Amino acid sequence: MPTLFPVSTVGSWSRPPELVRALRRRQAGEISQQEFDTVADQAVLDALRLQEEAGVDEVTDGEQRRDNFYSFVVEKIEGMRLMTVSELLDYVPDRASFEETLRALDVPAFAIKSPVAIGKLRRKPTGLALNEVAFLQKHTSKPIKVPLPGPYLLTRSAWFEQLSKDAYPTQESCAEDVVRILHDEILALRDMGVATVQLDEPTLTQVVYGDESEETFMCAALGSRRDPSDEMDFALRLMEETVGDIEGIRLSMHVCRGNWSKKEEVLLEGNYGPLLPWLMRMPVDQLVLEMATPRAGEVDVFKEYGNDKDLGLGVVNPRTDEVEDPATIVARTKEFLRFYDASKITLNPDCGFGTFAERSVATPEVAGAKLKAIVTAAQQLRTDFAHTQKGSTQ
Amino acid sequence: MTTEENVVINGLHPAKLEAVIEGLKEKDNLEAFSGPWRSRVVWQDGFKAKAHTRTHTVELDEPDALDTQDTGASAHEHLLSALGSCIMVGFVLNATRRGVQINNLEIAVEGHFQNILKWAGLDDDGNPGYGGIDVKIYAQGDADEATLQEIFDLAVAGSPVAQTVTRATPVHAELEIVL
Repeated sequence: MPTLFPVSTVGSWSRPPELVRALRRRQAGEISQQEFDTVADQAVLDALRLQEEAGVDEVTDGEQRRDNFYSFVVEKIEGMRLMTVSELLDYVPDRASFEETLRALDVPAFAIKSPVAIGKLRRKPTGLALNEVAFLQKHTSKPIKVPLPGPYLLTRSAWFEQLSKDAYPTQESCAEDVVRILHDEILALRDMGVATVQLDEPTLTQVVYGDESEETFMCAALGSRRDPSDEMDFALRLMEETVGDIEGIRLSMHVCRGNWSKKEEVLLEGNYGPLLPWLMRMPVDQLVLEMATPRAGEVDVFKEYGNDKDLGLGVVNPRTDEVEDPATIVARTKEFLRFYDASKITLNPDCGFGTFAERSVATPEVAGAKLKAIVTAAQQLRTDFAHTQKGSTQ
Repeated sequence: MTTEENVVINGLHPAKLEAVIEGLKEKDNLEAFSGPWRSRVVWQDGFKAKAHTRTHTVELDEPDALDTQDTGASAHEHLLSALGSCIMVGFVLNATRRGVQINNLEIAVEGHFQNILKWAGLDDDGNPGYGGIDVKIYAQGDADEATLQEIFDLAVAGSPVAQTVTRATPVHAELEIVL
């Protein structure tokens, strides 16, 4: 990988229609895992090819085998059941607040699926993403990034009191097993040679910027919300317990304000100021943050935290069809270079291009063009900042 | 053995549906399908009511802010539900007749009262009813966009409830005082 401004992605890529159909048929038990893998293998190869053609330095498998970035674990962890919000509505006392949220998000209840703990959670021997990595390693020599749901996201979505209380009387007791599962998975991925594990915690923005309704969800993270400070403390503690003692692999954490709709007005908005005191204490090497969307707010909130952590800087919006001008990406990156050394910044999109299998926000063509724009910008930045590298005589 | 008669799509038998639809060409069948359709609404207590239709009973109430217990949806909410359900029936009917498998279907219906003061007796004028109703259908089916759009258009145009609401249907209300 280049030492300056390497280009990566946040993980997901849009699924071709035949893959979505195969996914649905496998979930319905109409086709075998092997039949599904045949379709998914080709989709992964296509997603990989487009990333490599664009010049991305660190690749993912596009999350092609996953329903979405966190619900896929339902097949990887014993004791979980995938439930749609439609099904969960039967157990929710305050349906009106759920209806409010569904309308605000402009999503149908059937499209949001959550892995809910209905028994004791145990990681299956095949792991969460080990098969994804094994396949990808056969087809690329580039460093591999694996996105995983973060411990806070997974705990919030898994523990649904009405269905989980027999196995776990409290959210905290459920979190203990979630932490153990993720910890073991990250160690296994490290031992396979994965370069980066990215823990996705998008619900943290819901905690800070979301409305005050008692029962909320974003990306189907369900359950009662406490005071935002308590929630952020809880998220920090879970991350410390999950990765605090892990070495030998790059750990990153991704936060965004929602990626389920192309309507910017239905997504959350606010700068990183309220989040950064907690994000900077997370025991990870890198924060992967959206900054292309104006909803992410001002750059200056990073001033007092510059260089504290590596930054995966979001420089293209995956939800717009218009491809960003590389010059704009360069200019945006330079705004951050007021506070960060060049060696601390990786360039990436704001979020995935296909967070939800059935609701991709970008076609492969648009996604590929956006990645190429990032790569072009990165090449320009490497030229501009070559003198900052050690050993430079400039 | 699969025969045309026992093929099932969307939980329905297309052959049976076609036979029923074909039967509507018969005068007697058409009259039976056309009505009268009836509901008998019986006051219980406070704002509570029971509505009896054929073999079904639905309980209605109002939000607890109106000094009641909110034991059932309000009448105007049932109207929204009826509108959504009716369009849904039309969507499923037309999809099934075309052999389109529906994977998921959800309808969000929303309305705002234009002048609820009229209901409260605080205003003599205006429309206490919904000033307009928004219906959004989320559909996922094994068909291309044009086919699903056609199914949707037929469902709305053919919906008895949607067309009743849309066409300013006259309501003949009379009072009989029982001694």
